[in-house]
Amino acid sequence: MATYDKLIEVKNLKKYYNGDAIKALDGVSVDINKGDVMVVIGPSGSGKSTFLRSLNLLEVPTSGEIIFEGVDITKKKGPDGKKLNIDLHRQKMGMVFQHFNLFPHKTILQNMTLAPMKVKGVSQAEAEAKAMELLGRVGLADRAGAYPIQLSGGQKQRVAIVRALAMEPDVMLFDEPTSALDPEMVGEVLDVMKRLAHQGMTMVVVTHEMGFAREVGNRVLFMADGKLLEEGTPDQIFNHPQNPRLQDFLSKVL
Amino acid sequence: MNFATIGQNIVKLTIKYWDKFLLTGMGYTLSLAAITVAVGAILGSLIALLRMSKFPPFRWIASIYTEIIRGTPMLLQLYLFYFALPQLIPFLNRKQYLCVAIALVCNSAAYVSEIIRSGIQAVDIGQTEAARSLGLSSRLTMTEIILPQAIKNILPALGNEFIMIVKDTSLASTFFIGDLMTQCLLIKGTTYLTMEPLIMVAVVYFVLTFILTKLLAVFERRLRRGDIR
Repeated sequence: MATYDKLIEVKNLKKYYNGDAIKALDGVSVDINKGDVMVVIGPSGSGKSTFLRSLNLLEVPTSGEIIFEGVDITKKKGPDGKKLNIDLHRQKMGMVFQHFNLFPHKTILQNMTLAPMKVKGVSQAEAEAKAMELLGRVGLADRAGAYPIQLSGGQKQRVAIVRALAMEPDVMLFDEPTSALDPEMVGEVLDVMKRLAHQGMTMVVVTHEMGFAREVGNRVLFMADGKLLEEGTPDQIFNHPQNPRLQDFLSKVL
Repeated sequence: MNFATIGQNIVKLTIKYWDKFLLTGMGYTLSLAAITVAVGAILGSLIALLRMSKFPPFRWIASIYTEIIRGTPMLLQLYLFYFALPQLIPFLNRKQYLCVAIALVCNSAAYVSEIIRSGIQAVDIGQTEAARSLGLSSRLTMTEIILPQAIKNILPALGNEFIMIVKDTSLASTFFIGDLMTQCLLIKGTTYLTMEPLIMVAVVYFVLTFILTKLLAVFERRLRRGDIR
């Protein structure tokens, strides 16, 4: 299904804290192709969230390259020799957080139209039409005027997903999107993500939902101790794991 | 000492000197406090900005300033400003009120800058991350996302600072600049009574701060109500 167009190339990515005392990421290299649904799994503290957050530079890596649509966004200067404006690249990478991070002082609709209007200069009417259409798709059109505090966790996360989609990103990054949800709300969020994957959105998902990884992912990455230990299709990873760390991990979570 | 006499004296003095001393004193105290908080808030915002700057020397300057101001007594600062400023700036010669006001502003700015800084830093880091991940610049993130939320932390604390300043202005009476405490000394001087003017002024201070506290509580409840909607 993937077209093998590289969307993001990650080369030897390292993130050290306290000099090199803590190696959150220790030389991760991977290509993310257009249409990939890449699921990153691993024990806590394995660096998977750091990896994801490095992709849009919420974490600034210590060394390594992240080439997004042909531009190395870890460099201070862009290919045109001018100062690289990370905001321009972040617009094309939607991100969904564990704790939703909706803006509490803005309505759902305002949450969704803020970035398109302020960053892309889309007109209010156009931004609102787009937002309403997206909200309709996740069944929340009737909550457009509500404030985030009035929504359930699952509803908040669905809003967070469409808020990111309102910027029409080329890739969506999910940082444990269901970990802060009550169990009965996990399904509704995974459904939205599943539909997004079927529509061909490129996705990188850090999650503990092995069912999702197996069913929706086309590639699964296993990380531990800041290293990428094994990569493969869901079938390879879940049914024929090679690395002992992965075998051990799976025996605990499955 | 006779309580009945003191009570009678207080009533008599209050009726006699109500407008001449107490009202004038209240005017000076409140105007001095208002000026201090207003200008202090502006100066404090600037210091808070320096404190959160990406450029380390700015951060150092701001934190040295706040540490020195917060680490020395206010009365000492008043003395320093009162005697040093007119020597440095001839314009301020014999302008006692202005010197005291400047001292109070400089003092308050240090505290206000901390109020603003902590108000901003109390906003969840996830808000910044969400905004930046949507492509908002750091400036837009500040104006659209952080400040509107920080203001709810800052305003009540600023109100408390105003109440503190109302009381702190009493130190300015050291230089007889006309505030409530100065009036107390003046009444004492004209009547040769000690307890009575002290109690009178205490009551006025208390009523002032009590009203302000209650107003602030109402205002704070309004702010909180906005959270739930």
